[in-house]
Amino acid sequence: MTVKKFDEKVSLLENRKINGKYYKMIFSSAMLSKNVRPGQFLQVRINEGQDPYLRRPFSYYRVMGQRIEVLYEVLGYGTQVLCQKKKGEVLKVMGPLGKGFSGAIGKKKRILVAGGVGVPPLVFLAEKYSTDYLLIGTKSKAELLPKSELKKVRAKVLCSTEDGSYGTEGRVTLLLEKILKDRHPEEFFIQTCGPKPMMEAVIALACKYGVEGEASWDESMACGVGACLGCMVKTKTGLKRACADGPVFSFEDLDL
Amino acid sequence: MKIDLTTRIKTLTLKNPITVASGTFGTTDEYAGYVDYKKLGAIITKTITVKPRAGNPMPRICETAAGMLNAIGLQNKGLEDFLEHKIPYFKKLGVPLIVSIAGETTEEFAKLAKAFEGQRDVVNALEINLSCPNVEAGGVNFMKKQERILEAVKAVHDGTRLLTFAKLSPELGDVLAIAEQILKQGVDGLSVINTLRGMAVNIGSRRSKLAKDFGGLSGPAIKPVALRYVYQVKKEFQVPVIASGGISSVKDALEFLIVGADLLAVGTANFVEPAATREILNGIEAFCRRERLKSLDELRGSYKPAEEKGSGCKS
Repeated sequence: MTVKKFDEKVSLLENRKINGKYYKMIFSSAMLSKNVRPGQFLQVRINEGQDPYLRRPFSYYRVMGQRIEVLYEVLGYGTQVLCQKKKGEVLKVMGPLGKGFSGAIGKKKRILVAGGVGVPPLVFLAEKYSTDYLLIGTKSKAELLPKSELKKVRAKVLCSTEDGSYGTEGRVTLLLEKILKDRHPEEFFIQTCGPKPMMEAVIALACKYGVEGEASWDESMACGVGACLGCMVKTKTGLKRACADGPVFSFEDLDL
Repeated sequence: MKIDLTTRIKTLTLKNPITVASGTFGTTDEYAGYVDYKKLGAIITKTITVKPRAGNPMPRICETAAGMLNAIGLQNKGLEDFLEHKIPYFKKLGVPLIVSIAGETTEEFAKLAKAFEGQRDVVNALEINLSCPNVEAGGVNFMKKQERILEAVKAVHDGTRLLTFAKLSPELGDVLAIAEQILKQGVDGLSVINTLRGMAVNIGSRRSKLAKDFGGLSGPAIKPVALRYVYQVKKEFQVPVIASGGISSVKDALEFLIVGADLLAVGTANFVEPAATREILNGIEAFCRRERLKSLDELRGSYKPAEEKGSGCKS
């Protein structure tokens, strides 16, 4: 039995800059908001026609009823075009795609380690499942998510900035190591999403302390559904498609 | 009024001319949630090689103006896996199947032909990939030697009673000259065109945006080139042609039909619009209705060349 998948035209309810780093777009869809797991993503066709040509993947930030929120950074041409879109403009969107983060982790304490575009899906995860720590690393205070966006997160939120303008000065792994040190590794489960060097450092620490976890490991994508084999990830059980087999993989499975 | 979209290629009768270009439609059911596969005239598989291939390192894809570059490198699980795990899916599906094959040697091409000869209840035709630009041993570089291309084509043709199509790219050299040689080996038709080699540079790092220096350019950017070759090949040889190269809209599809294409393989457009094949098919029907055409054959090959005003190129 083939599972029907969704590609819908949605109308933007909101699309605005919320701080120095992030834009937030909001739209509503009955189909795209069904059974969404944090870590899953949407494939957005920014313009009809050929400019830009390919769709762009965005992770879900928040789903409330049929209302879907997406936080994004302007990082390239596609997002430059997207951020100009006004309320009422229409986008074609596929979703929910990929495999998300594990919700149930037994009795372990959940530690989320986020950076950059990895912050939105982990805030979503922290809002949906009981979480002990949400660690957020940025370059400076200006890039931190506004406090109002974190008010539904019940976890302990700790921030680090590389320039020391907010929270602990340095990399987010400093915060992580402080938590892991001198504790029993079986107590914790780490879930991480962000720039690859950050995730690599997180996985190295997890390895050092023997803690299990998951990382959202993506590559440039074309189709988003597992057809083109453009976004392969090396795992211990062979090459896997970030879009369809991931983007979330266990630390154990990733072959870095 | 029902429009007759039936497309006949020698012994093969398809309910319509719409298919999907090799490598752009997954391995089995990746698009089944978006498109009813049974509505397609045929399915062309991702290229199968004798041995499994891991493909190229990342990044393998990069967007360009109206298209993309890819350097996937023919990643596939090999012949054995295909026969064991993929063929049963297509057998159950019952949609005409064209298997794309590539070998690193003539012997491998022969082996593939023989293997699919044994699957004639599921497989209807073979598309011989002579021009995947990303494989050092089996692609353009090896294949540039025309002799070996001809040997490979002959080996496939001799090894099976299935219909055979040779897939060409302008990367092989003079397309018409090569097509002529290839047709002499007895293949049933041509598949025109594969991707064109291109390049994209990251201006910061001064490195390629792909893990390889070059990749295959596909998408609307190459459509005019593809259209021209389909027209020329059709005019010159009057053999069955599977057209591919940037077909993304119903207008594109109609242009290819007008210059004589038999099958239309929608490729990169699937990545952008999973329902592209369905939209194109519906659009062709609507066009025929509007133009009061009873069958596609009234449209196919109806192009009026500039030099012969008003006469058409239909053979």
